[in-house]
Amino acid sequence: MSRILVAEDDPHILRLISMWLKRQGHDVLEARHGLAARDLLQAEPVDVLISDINMPGLDGLELIEAVVPAGLVRRGVVVLTNRWDHGEIRTRLAAWGVHVLPKPFSPSRLSELIESLTSSDVTEPQA
Amino acid sequence: MSATQTNDAPPEPGSHRRGLLWDGMLPEALGLCLVAIIFGGLAAGYLVTDYSWKQQSAAAHKAETEAVAQAMATALGCVADADGRSRAGEAPDVAAGPRTGRPSEQVELLMRELGRLPGLRSMHWTREGEAPAEPYREGEAPAEPYWEGEAPAEPRRDCSMVVTVAVRTLGGEPAGELRVERSASADAGYRSLLLWNWGTPTGITLLVFVALYRRLKRHLRPMVAIERNLHSCAQGLEQELQTLTLSDSLGRAAQGWNHLIEQLTQLHQRLQEAQGAEQADVMARFEGAVFRRVVDRLPIGVICVTNSHTISYANASAAALLQRGPDELVGRAVDKAIENPAVMQAVVAAQARSGAGLSVDHTSRDGDQETTLRFRILPVSAQSPSGDALITVEDISQLREGERARDNFLYHVTHELRTPLTNISAYVETLTQPGFDDEQTRKECYNVIVSETKRLSSLIENILTVSQLEVGTARLDVGEVDLTRLVRQMVQDNLAAADEKRIDLTLSLPPKVPKMRGDKQRLCILLNNLIGNAVKYTPAGGQVQVNLEVAENRLVLAVSDTGIGIAAEDQAQVFDKFYRATADAVQAVPGTGLGLALAREVARLHGGEIHLESELGQGSTFTIELPWPTSDQKVTR
Repeated sequence: MSRILVAEDDPHILRLISMWLKRQGHDVLEARHGLAARDLLQAEPVDVLISDINMPGLDGLELIEAVVPAGLVRRGVVVLTNRWDHGEIRTRLAAWGVHVLPKPFSPSRLSELIESLTSSDVTEPQA
Repeated sequence: MSATQTNDAPPEPGSHRRGLLWDGMLPEALGLCLVAIIFGGLAAGYLVTDYSWKQQSAAAHKAETEAVAQAMATALGCVADADGRSRAGEAPDVAAGPRTGRPSEQVELLMRELGRLPGLRSMHWTREGEAPAEPYREGEAPAEPYWEGEAPAEPRRDCSMVVTVAVRTLGGEPAGELRVERSASADAGYRSLLLWNWGTPTGITLLVFVALYRRLKRHLRPMVAIERNLHSCAQGLEQELQTLTLSDSLGRAAQGWNHLIEQLTQLHQRLQEAQGAEQADVMARFEGAVFRRVVDRLPIGVICVTNSHTISYANASAAALLQRGPDELVGRAVDKAIENPAVMQAVVAAQARSGAGLSVDHTSRDGDQETTLRFRILPVSAQSPSGDALITVEDISQLREGERARDNFLYHVTHELRTPLTNISAYVETLTQPGFDDEQTRKECYNVIVSETKRLSSLIENILTVSQLEVGTARLDVGEVDLTRLVRQMVQDNLAAADEKRIDLTLSLPPKVPKMRGDKQRLCILLNNLIGNAVKYTPAGGQVQVNLEVAENRLVLAVSDTGIGIAAEDQAQVFDKFYRATADAVQAVPGTGLGLALAREVARLHGGEIHLESELGQGSTFTIELPWPTSDQKVTR
């Protein structure tokens, strides 16, 4: 069981991801915007961070750049975005080993990705 | 048509009535000459005949008449002698003359015998010492012996003569004188003489005239051909000069004419060549001036660059776009006039290879204003001997702004479409997975799918409406609308969302609201956006008040909330499409930025207005005023 934080401003997406992760047996934390997510991470680090990009207050990129270098995410980061410039996002976040899933995404694919991240001992950065 | 054509055919009848030559007096002169010659010949023949005949006949008649008169005088002398002896008592001498009757009867008888001479008109014997006797009258007894014959019936020619002979007796005594008057008439000799003298000059005259006519006609043929050609030229016929040449067989006049035509052709060719050269020069100068004026007035900048990279020409637009004076560009180097090295490189490349045109965009900032100029360096034409390059300058700032607006629109549209699409897709997949088959999860999934489908449908409807408004094709489906019922329905639709946030959503309606004319569907969009926004941007526990009033000539709908409010700097832009305030409280609420833009356009299409009163953190009031009673004329169709 891993500790996973989901930062997503859309309540339906947040609810869906939470359902899937809980079914896998993970401990899921939910945040509706970037500031809340940062506060939760600063309170206690997580294994995996799943974050949207467009969020009020602190967007996904700023959140990642704030928490990943600080070691608040141990195993990996998955970014969900409906922006069409996800290639640029991938390039910008390449240094942090971030996985990018463009919306609409498949919950099964996300579940497999989380499973791979949480089952491995070492985080493998993805270019 | 350069082939030589010989125009020596005889003229068509009547085709030269107005000929230059025949307009003269030549035919009339020839006719008069002919008539004069004929009459002259006739007159000459007559005169010659008459004169000759008189000369010939007069001599013969005179001799004959004198002989007759002499014989008569001899006879009268015998009668006078007998009369003398009778009066003296002597017996008449029969041998000396007639003795029957009176002497005068004898004389008359003798005269009758002698008077058968042709043309003899009268004979008078006047006795010595007596006055001339009266002419003898028919039926009267002559007082004196004389005789008067009958005149010719129709004397053709008068050749009268009078012969007087002395009468002497046998003894030689004078017994008076005998006067004989005779006239000669025309005879066959006269007619043949007349025919000869008259016909000969006439015939000679005709022969001469015919000869003259034939000779004149031969000389006139080239003149007629020349006249026809001149006539054609005078009528402006499209004929080349070479077609006016004549056959040399027509004589020296035709040869002279052909020589004249040849010289005229050469002169005409030289004139055309000279005119062509001059016209080309004038046209080149004219076109150059015209094109120069046209280029000067073009809204895009045009710059000509020499092969030494110096500007040789720049129109007014180029100077204005480059923020230079009208005369500052000409003579400058390109890299000094245009401070972008890429432009200079493009000019060099264009002059080097004459390939496809190059384009360089140059963006500059002046405070908040961003200006983008696009330089197009056109390839040097192969026909240009100087190797000039052409640069056009355009201000594409507005184009860039439009591109940004388009990109922004697409960005928002795709973003907003992907959100409900992601939910629908993800929840549908969830329903298909084992482990999510409990009743509560399935119900939750179905609810999300239904609500997100509605959201997607509404979003698409809003985007289509915005697109119609953008291109100006939005039209209202005008009908009778019960606004009270419509407002109540929209409040009802948003009641669930308000209840979820424990928002007090209230509605205030007047006792009686008349029906209005409008587009029910569009009015639903307007009301739903205003009431929905009020609920969305009002924190839990707040209040939303919908109030409808009927004023004198308008309906006033006010939607007030105790929500987050709108900052003063955002209030002017909240009605722009896709505009959303940057405040976190706003960004925390999902939205497209289309709702207020649509509300304003729908109000405008109904002839109404929308107003905003808001204070950040205190709430907002959107007021819509619709004209009432609403006439079709006030509603934009």
